[in-house]
Amino acid sequence: MENSRSCKSCQKHTIGSDDTTGNPVCLSCGTLQDYDNYDAQIGGISGPTGTQVRTGTAGSGTVYNYNETKIYNAQKEIEDLMYQLGFSSLKSSEVKDMVVKVTDGEYGQGRWFTVLIGACACIVMRIDGKPLAIVTVANIVCCDIYELGRMIYRVVDFLDLKLPEFDIVDSFEHYIRNAPSFSEVSEDLIGRMLKQGVFLVQCLVKWYVTTGRRPLPVVAAVLVFVAKLNQVDVVIEDVANELQVAVVTCRLRYKELLERLVKVARGLPWGEDVTVKNIMKHATFVIQYMELKSMSKNRNKNKNFEDVGFDLDYLIDDCLSNGNDYALDADDTVNDSQYFMMDHSKRLSIEGPNRFQISQECLAMIYSKMKDEMHVHESTHSRDNSIRKRKRGYGMLSYTDWWKGESEMSKKLLVKQIVEKDVGLSVMPPSFDSGCLSYERRKEKIKAAKYRIHKTMYPSDASSIDTIDVGSLEHVNAGKRRKRKMKFDVDWEDFIIETLLLHQVEEVEIEKGYYKTLMDLHVFNY
Amino acid sequence: MADQGLEGSQPVDLTKHPSGIVPTLQNIVSTVNLDCKLDLKAIALQARNAEYNPKRFAAVIMRIREPKTTALIFASGKMVCTGAKSEQQSKLAARKYARIIQKLGFPAKFKDFKIQNIVGSCDVKFPIRLEGLAYAHGAFSSYEPELFPGLIYRMKQPKIVLLIFVSGKIVITGAKVRDETYTAFENIYPVLTEFRKNQQ
Repeated sequence: MENSRSCKSCQKHTIGSDDTTGNPVCLSCGTLQDYDNYDAQIGGISGPTGTQVRTGTAGSGTVYNYNETKIYNAQKEIEDLMYQLGFSSLKSSEVKDMVVKVTDGEYGQGRWFTVLIGACACIVMRIDGKPLAIVTVANIVCCDIYELGRMIYRVVDFLDLKLPEFDIVDSFEHYIRNAPSFSEVSEDLIGRMLKQGVFLVQCLVKWYVTTGRRPLPVVAAVLVFVAKLNQVDVVIEDVANELQVAVVTCRLRYKELLERLVKVARGLPWGEDVTVKNIMKHATFVIQYMELKSMSKNRNKNKNFEDVGFDLDYLIDDCLSNGNDYALDADDTVNDSQYFMMDHSKRLSIEGPNRFQISQECLAMIYSKMKDEMHVHESTHSRDNSIRKRKRGYGMLSYTDWWKGESEMSKKLLVKQIVEKDVGLSVMPPSFDSGCLSYERRKEKIKAAKYRIHKTMYPSDASSIDTIDVGSLEHVNAGKRRKRKMKFDVDWEDFIIETLLLHQVEEVEIEKGYYKTLMDLHVFNY
Repeated sequence: MADQGLEGSQPVDLTKHPSGIVPTLQNIVSTVNLDCKLDLKAIALQARNAEYNPKRFAAVIMRIREPKTTALIFASGKMVCTGAKSEQQSKLAARKYARIIQKLGFPAKFKDFKIQNIVGSCDVKFPIRLEGLAYAHGAFSSYEPELFPGLIYRMKQPKIVLLIFVSGKIVITGAKVRDETYTAFENIYPVLTEFRKNQQ
């Protein structure tokens, strides 16, 4: 065998390799040559292939095994999150099972996996009817609610589950029992506040305050309201922080609650005096009225609030003729309910208390008489010492007197049942009301624009137009901050409406307010 | 009389729109293939109505004012046109974009124009009890007020998604042709009336 290398002993080019050892030997003289079988490993894709050996990862059972490490860490992460969420071991295992099912036993690692655990936690609790808000989980998982929400939708789709709706009543119950702000309140009072709160929450459901809105700010608003009602010292900021929701939204919902209670109070004889500022003083009467209304047999469910009617005649006669009989105490509650009974409405066919021509003096007399008697009653009544924190007294009665808690609305009801109940007020959703207002505003603006166009086109004829109520046009833009001295304050919207009208766009289309679309379709349509 | 022209209104075709409400089309998304490779940087440099930031998005964003639309032009020659209020406007806008590209020196054609999505909206003018609708139509509905104020209704036939809000405002999306939008609304309208709150 010829080789380029020569033997160090005989100098012949007969170097070969030993079959056993692989060492180079001279095939002629048999001399073992020096070691020279180094093979340079040139890297890259064109280099020779080799076997990659990584120490510590071969075989099974070592701590370096990727798959097992991943599963170990994933399980640890699940346990950590479950601990932070305060899940029981049973619930934790349910979450773990769901994660296993979704990932096909592979678990996972990375941010998405944490979000998946959060999503599974939300789903497990929701299916079990436990109140766990998405925002609470999102804060623990450290992601935004939309990311978590998308994962929830994906898991629900993947597992083909039916996710029940978030139960705001359960949520209220959970927070009134567990929120730190209420930790020092006696159990007895919590029970009473719970009933009142459930009643109010369900009223808000009926009044569309919860529909299409995040539930927790509503819960916070009701918590604060019932606390104030029962003279428990609670600050809205604290409650909002405890529920992990925006304070501004809570305040807004609180204001909406008060506004609706003021509207309910309009049904009382002194309702005109009730405003958002003094509603807390009247809240006991308003809620009692609502409770009585909800307990009354609604004989004609389709009748609206105005159809119910009060027997004010009877009320006034009774008030003026009997001395101390009008004092409102627990025993009199049943008697009071007669004022709200449907039967008495037959005595006077009225559509609303405003239709009565009762003098202010008369109303004031009734009101002050009641107030005085309540004061006497309150001063003689012993206070319940179980209330640890009491602010300045809003209520004219001790809470034990006016609240019966016998209405079905104090218990958890289905939405269908809530809707059928009469609580003395039936209102539209706030967004619907504002939509109606926008329509009206646009109608007025169209009217004004038509007037201006006519005035420009027929200057001599302008004064003869009586069909357009000029007075009503002046307030069209009254809500604007910039107040001009011009008779007609014209803004960008008016110009657009004028342009659309001049391009023969139908008024009903303009009323919808899709200006951009209409401009593109009718004005810039070449 | 000028007022006659201003007050003229055409009645809604009740055979086509039994509800008496015609959804307004708000956006049309269409695609077209210009069938040539494009140098996006050159386009961005030459066209003054274009913006191009390859780090952010790998397409030139071009806008025209009539019809007021926006186009996404990709290096492959594919183009997406958005913002038109009608199918004709969308096609006209796409043709205008193709013409601009041609003027910039590219052999652009106008192949496979297709409307990909139509978005419409309307107002039924009554409030809707979303909780009831979500409960009764659970198979099609998704209502999570914690995440989104509206109810997402996935209609199977036609395959359209509707966003239903408590105020009575509806958004209809996912249609390829205008009639699908109208059909979807006419299908959902009787359902909505079941969950309406009567006005007083």
